[in-house]
Parts: sequence; C-alpha cells; structure tokens
Amino acid sequence: MGASPRHTLSFTMRTLLLGPQRFQTTATTALRSLGVEGPVATINSGWEEREDQVGELDAALDHRAVHLRLHHRMLDVIDKDPAFSAHALAFRDRHDDLLAAYRLRLHHAIDGVYAVQRRSTSAPTFGGVDDAIDGVRAVDRWYLTQLRALYDDLAEVAPLDSSGVIGWHRGEIAAVLGRASALIMPGGNVGTLLRTLRLFAIEIPESLPVIAWSAGAMALTERVVLFHDYGPEGARETEVFDAGLGRVKGVVALPHARRRLRLEDKVRCSVLARRFLERHCVLLDDGTALDLEADGSLPAGARILGIDGAIHEVRPR
Amino acid sequence: MSANARRRAPGRLAINRLRERGELDAAVIERFIARHGSPIIEGERATFLFRGEADEVRVRHRVVGLPDPLPMRRVGGDLWAATTDLPQGSRVEYQLETRRGDHYERFNDPLNPRVAHSPVGSSSVCAAIGYSVPDWALPHAETRPGELFDEVIRSKALRRDQPIKLYLPARFTRAARYPLLIVHDGTDYLGYAAMKTVLDNLIHRLDVAPMIVAFVPPRDRLREYPNYAPHARFIARELVPLLTERFPLQDNAAGRTLMGSSFGGIASLSTAVRYPGVFGSLFLQSASLVFTDIGTEHGGGPAFDPVVKFVNRYRAKPSAPVDRIFMSCGTYEPLITPNRSMVPVFRSTGMTVKYVEARDGHNWEDWRDRLRDGLSWLHPGPQLFVYE
Repeated sequence: MGASPRHTLSFTMRTLLLGPQRFQTTATTALRSLGVEGPVATINSGWEEREDQVGELDAALDHRAVHLRLHHRMLDVIDKDPAFSAHALAFRDRHDDLLAAYRLRLHHAIDGVYAVQRRSTSAPTFGGVDDAIDGVRAVDRWYLTQLRALYDDLAEVAPLDSSGVIGWHRGEIAAVLGRASALIMPGGNVGTLLRTLRLFAIEIPESLPVIAWSAGAMALTERVVLFHDYGPEGARETEVFDAGLGRVKGVVALPHARRRLRLEDKVRCSVLARRFLERHCVLLDDGTALDLEADGSLPAGARILGIDGAIHEVRPR
Repeated sequence: MSANARRRAPGRLAINRLRERGELDAAVIERFIARHGSPIIEGERATFLFRGEADEVRVRHRVVGLPDPLPMRRVGGDLWAATTDLPQGSRVEYQLETRRGDHYERFNDPLNPRVAHSPVGSSSVCAAIGYSVPDWALPHAETRPGELFDEVIRSKALRRDQPIKLYLPARFTRAARYPLLIVHDGTDYLGYAAMKTVLDNLIHRLDVAPMIVAFVPPRDRLREYPNYAPHARFIARELVPLLTERFPLQDNAAGRTLMGSSFGGIASLSTAVRYPGVFGSLFLQSASLVFTDIGTEHGGGPAFDPVVKFVNRYRAKPSAPVDRIFMSCGTYEPLITPNRSMVPVFRSTGMTVKYVEARDGHNWEDWRDRLRDGLSWLHPGPQLFVYE
C-alpha cells in the first residue's frame, strides 16, 4: 500500500485502542480528539457480508467515513482471478490442517500445564509449571513457523503482484488511504479481517492516526491470540492465530475480556500471562480508551493481566 | 396455575394435603387440578393425576429403575394419583393406561398439554425442575435460515432411487469450504428433533460451523441399518463422492461426520468400520450398542441379532475408523449400560471420545437437546474468531 505524502512531515504516531462499541460508543469522541479534518477511511472487512451495513458506523464517525470494502474486494478477486483464488483456497485448506495439528498439540501441552499446576499446590514440582508453559510456548512457536512457511509457499506460487485484479484494488485502496486523515478499524471476524489485510498487503503509514476496537485492535498487534472461555463447549484454550500488522508493540489484545475470559480464575489467567510473558495481555473492555505511546506501547493506566493472574495497571514510565 | 405453585419446594405433597381433607367432591377436585395441573412437580417428586372411572389406572413409561407400569391409586371421587421420584433436570415421556373390565386403553395425559412426537405416535412429557427446552431449539425471527431442498440419488449399491434432503447454511458461498454431516433417519431428525431450526440457530449464534448436511431416510430400517454392506457402500462410495463433487466441501476425513440415533448409530458406526479413514467423526445418540459377553441371549429380539453380531465382533477386535466420537445417551433408557460400556472400548483404540448423559430416555427430544453439545464439539463455530 502506498504511503500518503500528506503524512511524511514530522508527526507523532497516534493509535487509539477502544473497548467494544456495541454498548458504549466512544469512537465519536476518540475521532474528535484526534483533531483531524477530512475523510476517515474504514476497514470493516471483519463484518464480512454485512460490510456495507454501515449506517451506525457512519453516524458514529460524523459521516466522514470512506469505506475500503476489503471483504467486497476479496470476493471480487475470488470471482475474477480464478488462478489466484485456487491457490488461496488451497492455502486455506493447508492452514486448516495446520490449525488442526496445532490444536491437538496445544490441547495436550496445556493439559500438562494444568496437571502440574494442580500438583504444585500439594507437592514440589521442581519448576515443572514454568517448564510446562515453556512447552506450550514451543508449540506456539512451531505453529507460527509452519504458518510462515505456508505463506512463503503461497507467495511463491501466487505472488500478489501477479494478479492484475489485486493490483487494481490496491491502487484504489492506496488512493483512498492517501486522502484519509485517519483510519478506523472496527471489530468482527478477526480471521477474515487479517485475510483481507494480507491479500491487499495493507501497510498503515505511521503518520496516519488509527482508531481501532475489538478485532480491529487485535489486528494492529504483532501477534493475534484467540480466546473464549464461555463458548458452548466451555473454556477453549487460548490459541495463537497469526501475526498482525505490528503497529502496536508488545501487546496481546484481549477485547471483551470480561465477557470472554474467566478473569476470576487466577490460575488460568496466570498461565495465560506467563505464556505470553514478553507481551502485556491488555484488557479492552467497554469504555476502555487507550491512547498509545508514540512507539506503539501501552500508556500508563492500561489494565493488564499479571503473572499472578490478577489485573494490574501499567505504571507510568 | 402458576409455575411457582407447581414447582414449589416440598413440604407435604399437595396430593397428600388433598387426601387429608377427607371426602372430595367434584368442585374440590376441579379446583385442585386447576391450581396444580398434571403432573405436579414438587422438589424432586412428580405426582401424576387422572380423572375418570376405571378399574385400574397406570402410568406407562420406559424409565429404567422405576416400576413400569406405575399404578395409580384412587384419591377420592374420580381422582387417581401416583407419585414418583423425578430428579432435577429429568424429562420423561409417558402415557396413561386404564383398565375397564378386560378393556385396556392407552392415551396421552388429558390433564397435561405438553406432548412430544415421534414416528410411532405422541407421548405426554413430564419435565422436572431444572429442565427447559433449549432456547436454540426454538425458532427465532432474527436467525438467518439455511436452505433445505430435496434430491433423489440413483444408488447402484441400494439398487433404487434414494431420496435425501440437503441443508445449505445461510450465507452459503462457493468461496468457503464446509464440513459435511450425514444424518441417518434424516427425515425424523428434521421432523421430531427440529434439526433445521437447531442448525439455523447454532450456526447463526456462531456455536457451530456452517455446514452442509445430508438427511438420509431409510427404506427398510431394520435391514439397512445394522451393518448392511449396500447401505455403507451407498454412503461412503456414492453419496460422499457425489456431494464432494457438487459442493465446496472440506475434502478430507476431518470434515466428514456420520450421525445417527438408536439403530442409526449402528448404521453410522458400521459404515465407518467398513470404510475406515473416510469419515473423521461419529455422532452417536443412544446407539443400539447391544452386545453379549457370552452366548447370544441379548433380550432384544430378532431385530437385534445383526446388531449384536456386529457389536460383539467389534468388541473382540476394536478398531479406530474415525478420530473422534461424540456419544450421548439417556440415563433412563435400557441402552445406557451398553453405551457406558462402549466408551472405554472406543477409547482403547486411541479415538477421542466425548460422552455425555442426560436424565432423559430413548426419544427424539432427548436427541434434539444434545445436538448443541455434539455439533459444537465436532465442528465448533467461528465464535473464537469473532470480536464485535
């Protein structure tokens, strides 16, 4: 994606991560707080076939939104470029196979963590919990390595540059982003959102202010982690899914944390925080508004999971 | 009658308080029934009522562990009653039976409007405290419906035209890949277990992956379902390839599930055993997994002979034709012991088995109520991906 010449002067990178907007709309205030004028681009491809149902979003953005319609564009690519589409579907099948193998390994690895954890309350485990968590981290690393290899294979057989349809869409997207004074990324299906971001090789200029929430916030991070403790099957193990855009550094974004995580289960939360030790697991609940530091890190006051399983706040630097 | 009145915690049972009043006239009985309805649920006790003249009145049910028939006693006037245990969460299907001289008559409880249907007729339903029809089994206006349509497949294996009903989920697109679920007794699952409504709701709520479902009815069920080679060949070698060619299916074993209840469970298992590696999962509900450890006296009658032969052979040399099995069974049905017994046998082969029980019987609403557990375990929906 081409960078906008309007944002090449000196700037402070602005990124605002918000809580979910369904029950408490803060996007309007956040947008006004940026103090920018003119059109704002949106990427709401996570809404999938509802991508064009933007009445409420338009109102929340003061009717300044220009929608990039990445999901619609992705369907257009599938329709008009059958060769690329076939490779992309084959990739998705392989990714599904990889996910299935990852889940199998993850399930057994994480069971091992909890088994040793339970024993640790009544008997010495000789650092067994930490070592078992390292085992889970190794499974996560293996998955991401294999996924990267799949992407490399795809890029080799179906480079994005080879598709005229994709190229045409990328030109349009670049033009819209070039005119935008901010980018808005709402929630939705984070898998679909990431797929469209990757398909059109979206790179957000650092100079372009971004407001994101829910799946949009997850997609801005370096590593997208999926979680849901209250599904019909009960708690499903937290999974690493993919790399995000990497604009937000050192963070695992946990939108809807209160609704989706058993925050009262300190053992479970502790394992989660320790598994992603090098990153802050940040809770993005209703009403949250985090104006990130210029380097993409969390501001003071952000609520994060500690390795003790409790909720803490990021201290001022 | 208020729900609170029917379901209040037990002190003395309402029927006993009524008995203690002495002689009962018609007006008192009418007021009592109007207030309490039937059956009366008090704590973990259920009292069945009947009004009418008869020599005997009995409650007929098939709950293993309770006397069947359960005799009712005359309370006074023309009111009859019988009280029994009914643990929390139970759901029991029953009928009443009267004897007048040599004449027996069975019918649904006239005082109970709650009825369940099946291919062999209807029954009254007694629901204990803690049981309710799952919300996802009821129609909802906001749910995007899938599409159901009829097909006829010319089957060489069965030497006939085989009708099926195909379900395509809402938002079906050829750009996606769908799991395939093949349902034995398919028409009955649609008619008596509300399976289209359930699929629509569970897919809409992201609990279950959007999937393509083939509902397959039998023609001669007792012949075709207990380990019948032509049936297995039809499913594995005709139906699966045909649907794979026509629809955007996940073209691997993990994407294919066979499902059935009772004899349909045996049809599912035996088909998978005959074609190992074709299917990744089985969804077995109250499967007729009857076996003998010695001899051939199984007590199920001639219809079960081929079932027992198949299950005995499988138990002698268990195999793992699929990776995962979801099993459910009602604790009040005779098949509970065979089902429990087969769990370790399946697990011993390395298959992953999830087994759930419910305080219910061998009936379609029990199977309906377990659909979310099974489908969301076998083919979980995209809930993990959606953060609105």
